Amino acid sequence: MKGLLNYVEGNSVLHRMNPLSKLIIALLISVSCFLCKGHLFLLGVILVNLALAAVGGIFNRALGLLKTLIKLSIVLFLLQVFFIRDGNILLRLPLNIYITDMGLSFSLLLVLRLMGATMPLTLMLSLTQMNDLSNVMVEKLGIPYKYVFVLITAIRFIPVFMNDMQAIMEAQTARGVEFDTRNIFKKIGLILPLCVPLLVSSVKRIEYGALSAELRGFHHRKKNSGYKQYGFKVQDIGGLALFTLLLVASVFL
Amino acid sequence: MSKAMVQTKELCFKYKDGKEFALENIGLTIEKGELVGIIGSSGAGKTSLLYTMNGVIPHHYRGDFYGEVLVDGLDTVDNTMDRISRLSGSVFQDIDGQMVATLVEDEILFGLENYGIPRDEIESRVNEALEKVGITHLRYRTISSLSGGEKQKVALCAILALKPQMLLLDEPTAELDPQSSQQIFRILKELNEKEGLTVVIVEQKIMLLSEFVKRLIVMEKGKILFDDEVREVLKHSQALYEAGVNCPRVVSLSNALTQRGLYKGPAPIHLDEAETMVKEILHGKI
Amino acid sequence: MVRFEAVSFGYEGKQTIYDVTFQINQGDFAAIIGANGAGKTTISKLTNGILKPTSGRVLVKGKDTKTTKTSELARTIGFLFQNPDRQICQTTIRDEIMFGLKCVLKDNHEIEERINQTLETFGFDGSRDPFSMSRGERQRIALASVLATRPEILVLDEPTTGLDYRECMQIMELVQELNRQGTTVMMVTHDMELVNDFASRVLVVGGGRLLADGDKTSVFRNAEVLKAASLMPPQISALAQRLGEPFEGIHHVDEMADRIQCLKEGASL
Repeated sequence: MKGLLNYVEGNSVLHRMNPLSKLIIALLISVSCFLCKGHLFLLGVILVNLALAAVGGIFNRALGLLKTLIKLSIVLFLLQVFFIRDGNILLRLPLNIYITDMGLSFSLLLVLRLMGATMPLTLMLSLTQMNDLSNVMVEKLGIPYKYVFVLITAIRFIPVFMNDMQAIMEAQTARGVEFDTRNIFKKIGLILPLCVPLLVSSVKRIEYGALSAELRGFHHRKKNSGYKQYGFKVQDIGGLALFTLLLVASVFL
Repeated sequence: MSKAMVQTKELCFKYKDGKEFALENIGLTIEKGELVGIIGSSGAGKTSLLYTMNGVIPHHYRGDFYGEVLVDGLDTVDNTMDRISRLSGSVFQDIDGQMVATLVEDEILFGLENYGIPRDEIESRVNEALEKVGITHLRYRTISSLSGGEKQKVALCAILALKPQMLLLDEPTAELDPQSSQQIFRILKELNEKEGLTVVIVEQKIMLLSEFVKRLIVMEKGKILFDDEVREVLKHSQALYEAGVNCPRVVSLSNALTQRGLYKGPAPIHLDEAETMVKEILHGKI
Repeated sequence: MVRFEAVSFGYEGKQTIYDVTFQINQGDFAAIIGANGAGKTTISKLTNGILKPTSGRVLVKGKDTKTTKTSELARTIGFLFQNPDRQICQTTIRDEIMFGLKCVLKDNHEIEERINQTLETFGFDGSRDPFSMSRGERQRIALASVLATRPEILVLDEPTTGLDYRECMQIMELVQELNRQGTTVMMVTHDMELVNDFASRVLVVGGGRLLADGDKTSVFRNAEVLKAASLMPPQISALAQRLGEPFEGIHHVDEMADRIQCLKEGASL
């Protein structure tokens, strides 16, 4: 999971785009997934996502993400499809459960929407540096620096926490706690008491970070303080135009 | 009349939830351009003393504060932590916790951006800071890919870019290996000698401290036990030992030899001096 | 007790340990030294199976770490990590020690007895909260918890990081006492003075390879190996080397002072 949110280095046209454009494009794609009506459109969007990933050089990661989403989708699909009763019955199962054509269609639509909408945001995070995103959020979108900072720090801490958690599990395994069991339920039950050390060390670390930030003028920051500047180039305008068209198309398709 | 960098008078402090005083009756003066080391067993009050110099005490950590602390003439109680912290830069023991950015460059930019340094000045400050610490080649790296020593150098860099007058370091080499620790100390010494930066460093590594600092303050239970030139302090090896502080081995050796009546000179601080000392004693018997 | 046979290790396509072979015998106090990133911690983790070798094998009292669960090996090997906060997970010292014991013992009566014994040996008040104490104290608590299980082999990964001298000595003297009573000790460290004071055997690791394996004197004298591992010999040993032959094999302050005195007074060695 931590691999999915990390920035991947690269020099593709997507990497070089203005972070704001990328954010907007991601949103455009996601919203278009909810506005559209047809399954085919959604499949198209998913393919577009994969294509974008390929351009950015993160095709494999995108595929991995897709696989995870498909697994999640199957669960969702099954939950949904059994509850929709309208339409013509296609399959009758015992206990008065049946699958209808409308149920099938609706559930499929839901699941495809989910996949199509989640991918852009995750891909965007892989192609944009956290700091760049935070800079544009503060400067162009006017979101107060404090909130953006909290968001960025939270995202930055995810891999740190996962590392800590793994180190804690290692330490406990070395004491004889059976983390190396195959039984996943047992594993979960063992993890719970370990939240204590994780929380304690996390709180301490965050305190140091906050102190360090305060001592370096954190409270002074104004909207225009950011040093890095991001221009709007041909690819930004082109990309934005393209995906706005997509959004418009989604209303009709 | 030039102001001292730090001046404390009858400083006492007890943390809000503390049972005892963390600092008791501390009176010391640190002049501009000094390179001072602070050592003591854990709980002796070293970090607390450091915190009084950058305003963290009494503004961030509340408690009972008595006495007076002046940093470059400014009273730390009457001025905000922000104002006081601008005079100094602090590096902490928790190497990862004190970072706020993902990229090295962003970490250095952080403080500069916060204080609204004009854009054209920022670039030169970043370059200068990177050069002083010798990590220009790390500018575009992600912080998580760096070693502990490199990370501490980045932390140092981020502070130097803000051009502080004083550097306050709290056990910066605690988690570093001997080689990286040496490098950090060397950089600090250079900064002190070339730029006249006042440096106050809390450390447990007595051998490194005695090699690099000129003045050593030993603390125990919130009080200052010794505050003098390094060699003078190291003479009291028994008292130091009881305070939970070690001596460099060569100093223990010279003290042992003095006890046996074989040596009367000053304590050697590093190998070369120790070698000379032994050869002198044996006076050509080798 | 512990045997590494042509062990190699790598992860994510990068090899970090190359063909390491050594054997630690019962009662040894071995120090594993080397520069940062040389592979010391990796070797320590290979010892109790947290990491499994990609080739070769690691045997602990004859059991292969690849086929034995680490949680099972915990009965024989006690591991003290660099950061005690990774290990401490209970809100009182007593519970913490009990947690560790429950992993390897079943008899409640025995557990109770050992807890009391351990609390006494260390001088702890069992009802205190570990997180309200200093790092040095927490390291002692972690050690207490590990020692309560009476492991035959004790592996320490840079146990004195962040500790002051007094705390450092408290931990090391305890470990030394245990070693005298027969516990085999493997300690990863880069504090050369510590190695000098406590270890009997030294293994030098550099670039993932075993560069040297022997007693203190031979290893500290080997300038090339130390240089390859970016290490400096302990102060007194280094001084002895500089002063030449009459000071051969001297590592400690008292020995040095004695030798100087002897030479000064012209007595024959």
